[in-house]
Amino acid sequence: MRDSAHLHDNERKPAGGATSVRPWRQFHARNRALFVNFFRRELTTRYLGSVTGFAWALLNPLALLAVYHFVFTHIFRATGFAGQSFLAFVAMALWPWLAAQEALQRGAVSLASYAGMIRKVAFPHEIVVLASVAATFALQFIGYAAILAVLRIAGEPVHVIGLVVAIPVWIVLLVGITGLTLLLAALQVFVRDIEHVLMPLLMMLMYLTPILYPLTLVPEGMRAWVAANPFNWVVGRLRDGLLDGRVALERGDAVAVVVALMLFLGGRWVFRRLSPHFEDFV
Amino acid sequence: MRLGHDLPSIRDGRSAVIDARMSAFPPMLLELANVGKDYAKVETRGGRLRLVFDLLRGHGARHVFRALDDISFSMQRGQSLGIIGENGAGKSTLLKIVAGVIQPTRGTLAVNGRVGALLELGSGFHPEYTGLANIDLAAALLGLAPSELGAKRDEIIAFADLGEHIHDPIKQYSSGMVVRLGFAVATALSPDILITDEVLAVGDESFQKRCIAWMERYLAQGGTLLLCSHSMYHVQKLCAHALWVKDGRAERYGAAADVTQAYLAYHEEKEARARQPLGVDRAAASGVYAIDSLVVEPADAITQGSTLTVRGEVFSPDDRTPVVLVGIVRADGTPVYGVATDMENETPQRIGRQRFAFAITFSDVALLPGRYQLRAHALDPEGVRLFDHVEHAITVTGATRELGFVRLPHRWQSST
Repeated sequence: MRDSAHLHDNERKPAGGATSVRPWRQFHARNRALFVNFFRRELTTRYLGSVTGFAWALLNPLALLAVYHFVFTHIFRATGFAGQSFLAFVAMALWPWLAAQEALQRGAVSLASYAGMIRKVAFPHEIVVLASVAATFALQFIGYAAILAVLRIAGEPVHVIGLVVAIPVWIVLLVGITGLTLLLAALQVFVRDIEHVLMPLLMMLMYLTPILYPLTLVPEGMRAWVAANPFNWVVGRLRDGLLDGRVALERGDAVAVVVALMLFLGGRWVFRRLSPHFEDFV
Repeated sequence: MRLGHDLPSIRDGRSAVIDARMSAFPPMLLELANVGKDYAKVETRGGRLRLVFDLLRGHGARHVFRALDDISFSMQRGQSLGIIGENGAGKSTLLKIVAGVIQPTRGTLAVNGRVGALLELGSGFHPEYTGLANIDLAAALLGLAPSELGAKRDEIIAFADLGEHIHDPIKQYSSGMVVRLGFAVATALSPDILITDEVLAVGDESFQKRCIAWMERYLAQGGTLLLCSHSMYHVQKLCAHALWVKDGRAERYGAAADVTQAYLAYHEEKEARARQPLGVDRAAASGVYAIDSLVVEPADAITQGSTLTVRGEVFSPDDRTPVVLVGIVRADGTPVYGVATDMENETPQRIGRQRFAFAITFSDVALLPGRYQLRAHALDPEGVRLFDHVEHAITVTGATRELGFVRLPHRWQSST
C-alpha cells in the first residue's frame, strides 16, 4: 500500500506556507490504531508487575470507602447525610473524584514514558495523554458501575433512572479533565514542578469538595465558595440523579458543559502550541 | 548555498517554458529549502518558565542554539544521499526534520511519500514490550492495523532473525538485537524514503552484510535512501551523492566520492595540525614538557637500509632534564619500535634556560617499504608522565617481496 501523499504527519509547511490535502481518512485510521495501542499499553503496563493486577484498580476505592466509613461513622459518628447512608452518599462521589485525580496525576507525567518515541518518531503526542486519561476513566467507571449494582442489591435506594444524568455527568467530567491533563502534561515537559505540586494540591482539593460531607454542612458564609468548585457540580448532580432520582436539567448544567469545553479547548491549545518543542525537553 | 540546483532534477537543463509545463509532473520526493533549526537554550528554572510563555505567545525562544542553518537539497525517487560530518554537526537534527520528528524553525520541507526512519537505537520501541508487541506498535505508528500487518509480521520476524527472543521484552535485548528488529521493521513496511542513522555499526558482521545487501536491492528497485554514516565505505558503496554537514551548515554537496574524499582530507589535515611541534612560544605557553621542534633527516622518503636521524628540542617548564621517547609506528598506529633516553642512561643536552636538545640516529633502518609515522614524546624527568607527542610521516622506499614491516637479520641453512 503506497500512497502518494502519505500517512506520516509529514506534509509540514511552517506557518504561512501552502497547505496540501491530507488523506484524512488514513490519518484518522492511524491515530485510532495508535490510540488503541497506547490504551491497551496503559492498562497492561500499569498493572503488569503487580500480583493483584486489574483487581487492585477496582478494590482500591473500595478499601478507601471502607476506611472513610469506619472513621466517619464509627469514630466521628457523623450524621446528616441528607437522609442517606454514609456509604451510598460517599460512594456516589468517590469514584469520579478518584478518576479525576488519577487521570491528572498519571496523565501529567505520561509523556515521560514515551520520551524515546517522542524523540525518534513522528506522531501526534496528544494521543499519549488521551490514552492515559481514557484508561483511568475506563477502570474507574467500571468500578463505579459495579458499586452502584452492589449498593442496589444491598438495598440502598439507588435510582436506575439516575443513570440518565450520571452518564452525561461522567462524560462532561471526562472532557474537562482531559483538557486539564493536556495542559498539565505539556507544562510538565518544561517545568518538572507540576508533578510534585499536583499531589498535595489534589489532596487539599479533595477535602474542600463535598465528597465526604454534604454541601449543607458547610457554614453559610463559606458555602458559596465551596459550591463554586466545578467538582461540586459533578458530585451534586450524581447524588441528585442516583440517590434522589431527580433527572431534570438545571441551569448549572449548561455552565458545567461550557466550563468543561473551555478547559478542553484551552488545554488542547496549549498542548498543541508546546508539543513541537517536546522533543528537546522530554 | 542552495544545493538543490546541483542535483540532476527534472527541471535542470530545460528552458523556463518547459519548466512551467513540467509542474504537472510528480513533485520531488523530498525537497528542503533553506531549512534551519534552532534549539532553545535554557539554563535556569525561571528560563524554562519564560520559554513556555514565549512559546505560548507564539514567539520563538529568546536564546537559541543554531543546530542547523540554510540547508537545501532535493531528492527524486531512486536517489540516494549520504550525510556525513563530525559528531554534533547537525546530521541527526537534519534526519529528524526529514523524518518529521521535529519541525524546522526556518525554511520549507516537502515530503511526498512514506518515510521509514531508523533513528538511533530502537526507534520508538517500548522497553517493557516484547519484540512482537513492538512490531504491532511500529505498524500502528505507520497506520497499519494488526490485521493489515498480517504477512508482513512474518517477514519482519524472519529478517530480524531473533529466534525465541522475539517473545522477550525489548529491555532484555542486546543493542545489536534491537537494531536488527528496528531495521527489519523500518524496511518491511516498504517506505518511499528510508532514513537510517549510524545504526548499522551496532549489528554483527553477518547482519551488517544482510542490511547492505537489502539496501542495494532496495536501491536497485528504485528505493530512496538517506544514510547518515561515519563509514565512508558505506556512503561510497550505497550513495550516489553525499552532503557534508559542518557546524549546522552544508559544507559540501556533490558526488559521493568527491565529498567523502574532501571530508577525509579535512580530517587528515586537522590531525596533522594537531601533531605539529608547538614551536618555542607555544610550548612555553603550554606550561608542560613539550617537544617544540622536530627535524627528521631525510625528511620524507628514505630507502631501506639507509640511516635516519632525528633531532629535536624540548621545553622543560621547571628546567629539569626531561626524558625523550622516540619511536616508529605504522600508519595504522601499530608500534614498531620505541626507545627513551632514560632506558639507555642518556640525557638530552641543556642548550639554554628551560630548553634541551636531543638527537638520535637509526643506522641501517630495517623497516620494510611502506608508510610510517615517527613519533617523539616529551616525558617528565622521572619518565613516568607523558606530556606531548609530535608526529612526522616517513616513507620507506625499496623493492622487496618480504612480508611484515621489519627485516630481521636472518640466514637460510642450506640443506646438506
